[in-house]
Amino acid sequence: MVCLGMEPDHNHINGDLAHGFENMVCVRCRDGFSMQDQMVNSSGEVWHSECFVCAQCFEPFPDGIYFEYEGRKYCEHDFHVLFSPCCGKCNEFIVGRVIKAMNASWHPACFCCEICNKQLADVGFLRNAGRALCRECNEREKAAGHGRYVCHKCHAMIDDGQHIKFRGDSFHPYHFKCKRCSVELTTASREVNGELYCLRCHDTMGIPICGACHRPIEERVIAALGKHWHVEHFVCSVCEKPFLGHRHYERKGLPYCEQHFHKLFGNLCFRCGDPCCGEVFQALQKTWCVKCFACSFCDKKLDQKTKFYEFDMKPTCKRCYDRFPTELKKRISESLKDRDVENQRRSMSPGPK
Amino acid sequence: MPKDKKKEEVTEVEHVDRNISSFSQISHLIDAEIITRLSLSHNKLTVVPPNIADLISLQSLNLWNNQIEELPPSISSLPKLRILNVGMNKLTKLPKGFGSFSELEILDLTYNNLSERSLPGNFFFMQTLRALYLGDNDFEMLPGDVENLTNLQILVLRENDLLTLPKELGKLTRLRELHIQGNRLAMIPPELGNLELVGSKQVLRLEHNPFIPRIQDQFDENGAAGVWAHIRTDDYRYFFGRQEPSSTPVPPKRNKEKKVSRKGIQQA
Repeated sequence: MVCLGMEPDHNHINGDLAHGFENMVCVRCRDGFSMQDQMVNSSGEVWHSECFVCAQCFEPFPDGIYFEYEGRKYCEHDFHVLFSPCCGKCNEFIVGRVIKAMNASWHPACFCCEICNKQLADVGFLRNAGRALCRECNEREKAAGHGRYVCHKCHAMIDDGQHIKFRGDSFHPYHFKCKRCSVELTTASREVNGELYCLRCHDTMGIPICGACHRPIEERVIAALGKHWHVEHFVCSVCEKPFLGHRHYERKGLPYCEQHFHKLFGNLCFRCGDPCCGEVFQALQKTWCVKCFACSFCDKKLDQKTKFYEFDMKPTCKRCYDRFPTELKKRISESLKDRDVENQRRSMSPGPK
Repeated sequence: MPKDKKKEEVTEVEHVDRNISSFSQISHLIDAEIITRLSLSHNKLTVVPPNIADLISLQSLNLWNNQIEELPPSISSLPKLRILNVGMNKLTKLPKGFGSFSELEILDLTYNNLSERSLPGNFFFMQTLRALYLGDNDFEMLPGDVENLTNLQILVLRENDLLTLPKELGKLTRLRELHIQGNRLAMIPPELGNLELVGSKQVLRLEHNPFIPRIQDQFDENGAAGVWAHIRTDDYRYFFGRQEPSSTPVPPKRNKEKKVSRKGIQQA
């Protein structure tokens, strides 16, 4: 227990105890007293005057004021150093009334609203996002902060759009450093496998991003069309079936399965209807497998060297053309003549307006 | 002797220009179950027997330049037939249910005596058809049902007697060849402007039609591409919508007396 004491009046003590002081001993040094010694008596115990000092600094008590704690007496300074609470605001010792709040001690004058600075010791306070506020300021903050994120670390409001998400909670980005380069993070940071990285480190770490879903790829990566893909997201642009390692075809930046590529881009054989692979014949705005290229009218095989005619944009062997009825051949040659004349005339006239 | 002497394992039979007048002359060479191709062009066949349907593996049947006047209805039940060429014959009509082929992709009926009246009701319901050759026939109009040929890429109507085209043709978005030269067309429905027929992989033949001046001028100046650009304009769409069907005199049909498909056919 602490008790504040005053050094007793020497004369009064000496007078009181004058008749039996030869039997007394000093509480501190355990020596007896001679007639010349000054004695100090306090609460029924006696000291040499020079032994009645602070238990910490061994100096006499200034103005005779001492503080007692657990049987030892301290000067005011040392007592405060050892045992007094410190104010959470001004860091000075608190003597007298101590306000205990927000897990700290305060001078009554130091415990103020963090927004309007009003003293809270007598009017009471409200805790708001880790701050002590007066009733009025708390109401205002609550209204303003509606719908905003609260930082999971400092409990303060986060300005709109300035939060980052980490393990499912919201934070001010400046509470974190990049796991790799230790730079203080901004909102442009990324969480990968439960760690936070600045955007630059994230991008150079080579964690591929799926070209379809725009999420990081942590399992098997498909590299195609200059992008990375989740295996299950690299699909034919038409049927949306994943290629799963099968061959794909590219056209204008889009991937297609074999069937749909040929279906869309006309490399199906005109005769058999299957995709043409390897060597093909291309003529009359059509494509044929080598084995399928034949006269349309007698099915005779044609090859690169065979001369053939065109009839309704179909390949026609010489024998079949020769066997066309005379009147048909006449019409064909007339229309060919007309077409030549047309082409010539058009190539000579100025181009389309 | 023909190389197809051995019946076993012969899947392709080719007897072109052999003076054959009846299927019975070659039936002994055919294993009906396995034959995939039968080419009998340039012969003298007049009849296709109904048992043609027994050739259950047949994928390609070429009867170009014979004298066939009628096909059996059973021909449409050939389950694997993908290519049928009956051009340069004397067909005046097609059998009932002709459109019930399940796999037919290329149908060549060029140079016959067919018209819109020759077609059975299901003709335009061949979903698998990629190419339809009807050049050198007698069509004066084309039924709007043509819109059901959803896979059609090639349509040849060269040198018929067509006076109009159905606007439904504009729904055949896969079409990349359209041959309508040598008909009696004065106008083209603006809906056909939906079709991508101008380009290096496309074919658009429009010549020899009695087009109205604004189309003919475009054709003379900028060719088929110019015509297609013009029918896509709002101006033409408005103009087309205001035309009376009978506002222009009907041009005469071409003289077809010399067509060989006519010979020996009773004219209606």
